[in-house]
Amino acid sequence: MRIPVIGVGIASALGINVEDNLQAIAKKRSGLGPVTLFQTHHDVPVGEVKFCNKELKEILGLNVNNSYSRTALLGMLAASRALSDAGITSASTLRIGLISATSVGGMDLTEDFYPEFLQDPRKGRLRMVKSHDCADSTLQIAEYCNIKGFTTTISTACSSAANAIMLAARMLEKGMLDYVIAGGTDALCKFTLNGFHSLMILDQAHCRPFDASRAGLNLGEGAAYIVMAGKEYGGEATPYGYLSGFSNANDAYHQTATSSTGEGATRSMLGALKMAGIEPGKIDYVNVHGTGTPNNDASEGAALLNVFGDRIPPFSSTKAFTGHTLAAAGGIEAVYSLLALRDNMIFPGLNFRVCEDERLKPQTDFQTGVSLKHVMSNSFGFGGNSSTLIFSR
Amino acid sequence: MRYYINKAVSAAELTRSLPDLIPDAAMRRRMSKMVRMGVATGMECLGKEYPADSVDAIITATGLGCLEDSEKFLRNLTENDERLLNPTPFIQSTFNTVGAQIGLLCRNHCYNMTYAHRGRSFESALLDAMLLFDGDMYRNILVGAVDYTIPAQLEIMQRMGFWRKGDPGEGAFFFLISDQPGENCLGVLTDLQFLSNDEQSEREVSIYNDYEQSGIFPTASAAVLFDALQQLKDGRMKEVRISNSYRNELPSIMTLECI
Repeated sequence: MRIPVIGVGIASALGINVEDNLQAIAKKRSGLGPVTLFQTHHDVPVGEVKFCNKELKEILGLNVNNSYSRTALLGMLAASRALSDAGITSASTLRIGLISATSVGGMDLTEDFYPEFLQDPRKGRLRMVKSHDCADSTLQIAEYCNIKGFTTTISTACSSAANAIMLAARMLEKGMLDYVIAGGTDALCKFTLNGFHSLMILDQAHCRPFDASRAGLNLGEGAAYIVMAGKEYGGEATPYGYLSGFSNANDAYHQTATSSTGEGATRSMLGALKMAGIEPGKIDYVNVHGTGTPNNDASEGAALLNVFGDRIPPFSSTKAFTGHTLAAAGGIEAVYSLLALRDNMIFPGLNFRVCEDERLKPQTDFQTGVSLKHVMSNSFGFGGNSSTLIFSR
Repeated sequence: MRYYINKAVSAAELTRSLPDLIPDAAMRRRMSKMVRMGVATGMECLGKEYPADSVDAIITATGLGCLEDSEKFLRNLTENDERLLNPTPFIQSTFNTVGAQIGLLCRNHCYNMTYAHRGRSFESALLDAMLLFDGDMYRNILVGAVDYTIPAQLEIMQRMGFWRKGDPGEGAFFFLISDQPGENCLGVLTDLQFLSNDEQSEREVSIYNDYEQSGIFPTASAAVLFDALQQLKDGRMKEVRISNSYRNELPSIMTLECI
């Protein structure tokens, strides 16, 4: 498998373009901060995109009085930029598909609608619930980007965007489309903040992936999409890299926790390596899922040892920069992996101090001038959903 | 390529009891109706003739997901002002809960995917299965669709004028699809076309999904497929083309033949 990636678009706590994201990472400047988007009792750091809905609508040239979920707005921003980065302007004349992932959909508006509705079912503004379903953000993005080809939405929690990229690749391989824009979008909302709080896996401080003192994750929001081209591609744009392998597997251990043996993650990494046709030793950098919860990092660490033995490639989690962006995470981290590959960089993980296992020490410095040929990106979600992507030069 | 539908199960016609299908009582208790019926229907479709390790992928579809769990968590959050919330409804509100729980119950480590794309959710799941078969490594795939209504949704959609066009519907439907015909093969899926919004209903079809039989719900085309398979099986029809365009958008046509 060798699918060229010819465009990327990103909106995260580090900024709404590639340059701002890269600069923050190079300077080791986290995008985490207090919650400003809504009222909450939870005093925890989160990774908000630093523009309110009104500002996002202005940037997008949309009527500020129209109702859009934040999930859709973030998606429109990242997807449209990915398309223009790929040099695709006349979207309607090509067979372009959109495969988008989301886990919260329009919940950011529904949760504002609900209190009034709960008091009196005749109350509450209907325009705030019309975007509730997951398909809404995808269809809004398609309309905004003038994409008339195939669309669908994947929702497998925190591995969603990686899975969207996989389906896109398979449809391109089959010749069903000329280009696919694939990735994910999720807005921060009260629903998920309280959900992760109720699970007691939110860290009150900045998350510390793979550190011995890690105590949980920080939530984030954002969107990221990549544009992939089919077999016939002969365009001018130099690809960022090629999607060379991917795999999805099920940990089948617990609805929210992951197995101590890292069964699902091991399977997804081995499956992706097999498809790419490379030995584990060929992987030069792993952008790990690394949420910073005691459970995830232990499980993912065990899986890394299963797959790479004692020779674990340089790895890091970018979650302490962006927060865990749920369904968008696989997209954001695919973009980071592609940038690392294109520019021969290794990204630092933040807040790592105390080592638990010498073999599982993440990279803590921003490194340039390294030679990268194959980069792996992991995304794991509720229900044991485990996904791995490999991008190659 | 021909995709053999060897078994189909509707939640309305389960033959085994819930405790038989979902033996873990604590697990059953945590489940909302949507999750419980979805998982039970999927488990019956796997059945004794298709043990867990013979299924190479589990693909589910839902238009609106686990509404009961989402609402329960949202209600608690609102009423308790963010304090002392039970995480169970949050955990179960994830769109891939049904597929994940089936995988968990039968310790199936294979490919597990969930589509939530309104009226095209089920067709997306079918497409995924067809692409997996084309890759030649897959023998048996479980594909299902689940949507159940809740009172708040009925009320909201009533206010939106949704039910003027028909009655609300719901259900869970699972299909065991294989690359070879089984002994009790019901019919063969031969084609699935996705049309653009301006192309719809220009092609000749035998069943236009008008939601009269099934009631209106995003994955109702799975109910239509379920009925069509019974007609193909007993010889009432030789070939069937099912057209679906929920809310007049995202049209698609699936083509089936008798075995």
